[in-house]
Amino acid sequence: MELKYSEILQRNAALSKSLPTDRFEIAVLSNVEVFQLKEILEYALRVDNIPAAVTTGDYDNIVQDSLKYKDADLVIVFWELCNIIDGLQFKIELFDDEKMDQIFDRTVAEIDFVFRNLKDTSLVLFNAFTGVQFSSASIGNTNLERLAARLNEYVQSNAPRNVKLVDLHKIIAHTGVRASIDLRNFYSSKALYSINFYKAYCSHITPYVMSANGRSKKVLVFDCDNTLWKGVLGEEGYDGIELSAATKDGAIFAEVQSIALSLSRQGILIGICTKNNPDDVTEVIEKHPDMQLRDEHLAARRVNWSDKVSNLRDMARDLNLGLDSFVMVDDSPFETNFIREQLPEVTVLQVPERLSEYPQILRENLGLFYNLSSTAEDAKKAGMYKEQEKRERSKKDFASIKDYLTSLGMKMTIYQDDKSIIPRMSQMTQKTNQFNLTTRRYTERDIENFIEDKRTNVFAFSISDKFGDSGLTGLAVVRIGDDNCGIVDSFLMSCRVIGRDAEFAFMNCLIDHLKARNVQIVLAQYIKTSKNEQVMDFFDQCSFPLMSSTESEKNYSLNISNYKAKPIDFMEFIYGRPN
Amino acid sequence: MEDRIKNVMAAVFGVSPGEISDDSSPHEIAAWDSIKHLNLVLALEEEFDIRFEEAEIPSLVNFKIIAATIKAYAE
Repeated sequence: MELKYSEILQRNAALSKSLPTDRFEIAVLSNVEVFQLKEILEYALRVDNIPAAVTTGDYDNIVQDSLKYKDADLVIVFWELCNIIDGLQFKIELFDDEKMDQIFDRTVAEIDFVFRNLKDTSLVLFNAFTGVQFSSASIGNTNLERLAARLNEYVQSNAPRNVKLVDLHKIIAHTGVRASIDLRNFYSSKALYSINFYKAYCSHITPYVMSANGRSKKVLVFDCDNTLWKGVLGEEGYDGIELSAATKDGAIFAEVQSIALSLSRQGILIGICTKNNPDDVTEVIEKHPDMQLRDEHLAARRVNWSDKVSNLRDMARDLNLGLDSFVMVDDSPFETNFIREQLPEVTVLQVPERLSEYPQILRENLGLFYNLSSTAEDAKKAGMYKEQEKRERSKKDFASIKDYLTSLGMKMTIYQDDKSIIPRMSQMTQKTNQFNLTTRRYTERDIENFIEDKRTNVFAFSISDKFGDSGLTGLAVVRIGDDNCGIVDSFLMSCRVIGRDAEFAFMNCLIDHLKARNVQIVLAQYIKTSKNEQVMDFFDQCSFPLMSSTESEKNYSLNISNYKAKPIDFMEFIYGRPN
Repeated sequence: MEDRIKNVMAAVFGVSPGEISDDSSPHEIAAWDSIKHLNLVLALEEEFDIRFEEAEIPSLVNFKIIAATIKAYAE
């Protein structure tokens, strides 16, 4: 954060006037004073359109506060070793083994309490224990560091899934030990950290919050010349461009390509968008011995002479993703400014003039793609998008859509309350924006709670066809409410499988399930967002009668005996093992 | 420099810079409690890239004293 603390205070106060009523509630529990964290954190998130509201718990009251604030959207825990008992940072160096065990046991017992109290909280960021504020100059390990290591080991093996450990060492390394702490205020008022520390801390944890709000980036698009390789292909030619790890400048581009490749393995879609002759670029992608990004890694390619804004728009449409999930890397200030101006929702990274800084700039921005629950599905994604392209192409060979769908040989597998796929199910609620009727975001813990609740069922489906397996791509949360009416809490589907009537087949299954539970009335809701316009008539198409509607939502109530199931005879249904 | 001090004080206490006068002190400004005082000290140190002596921090309780103290650091 470049702004000064006083500027942050000013701008945060201005932003707080236009906050929506639905806030992202954050509670900070701490055993040291963290006076300046509130506004810095609020501001860091509010500029990214997260309506954060931070509450600070009472001083040194973590255990009780963990109960009080368990319903917050995010709980952050600052548990500082130096204040576990007053003056531990110096007292501990005189402790014998027995006393070390005592303080470990006492702290672990408190940690257990806190984890139990916070077990249903959506997301908990727990700062890993550290003694580095006081031990950074010691050659051997101090008792303070030994205790930190033991506690961290315990936390790592006992933390529930919703608890993420924040490595304070990275933040303190970024800021420097001396600049991270303010010992004047530590001795006078138990306030350990500096303004600079809080700024670095807030930047560091922003990716967690973005991911929890379904705002992670999903696509990384590169220009080619002087972005994926050194030189201009159209001028220097196939043999003139540099991207070999063995040359000085080539090594930088080789490193950049490796970073992109590893992102692609984690499920981030890689694209290229460049003004070049298509055949020239294809030749490099297919044949150049030093090229690391090959056709199978590239989910989308736009190689032509049209403007990049239209190209990015087309790319977003073809991939069925919003432009706000795009990051574009380009070396030309003309292009980067043009994109920033025309498509402010796209994050644009400029290749720096000092080329040696290029890979590091890319690394510093990897948090944009951070995903709370990365899953096996992600790794297969580039391939799946490629299959999607093939399907689109073969669609054109069939006279009717029905013939086409029949020719695919589709199989839908339905999973009910399956605990083994919780991470992917949670991720779907966090990342699906377009085909999503209510856009409720659920953490892994939330999904687990639904599965354990007898009145709530979580359904998911995957689809396979002759081109491949789409993986888990649809999800619904259905609840039995009062008066035994069924409630469709969530219904969403990945855009990868749109256009195959999977949504109607899935709805048929849900209705069958509710019938089996003797439900008479099914209530459903469409909640409008800036992205889900395409499903605003979905329940109407499923024969649900509209009861009421406003600007922001539509409410439906269906007498289950009046449900008109859309006949789906081109798909085979398989039921996965129920839990 | 005086305007910069007033802007920082205004931001910390959540008032407009016009409300900060030469005599502003915890008596006039309701928000000026001990926590805000700490925040003010840190914000001023960052603004002017200085570090106050621990002993002078408690005395920085009105605009004139603050301005005079910072001026001394600048010289």
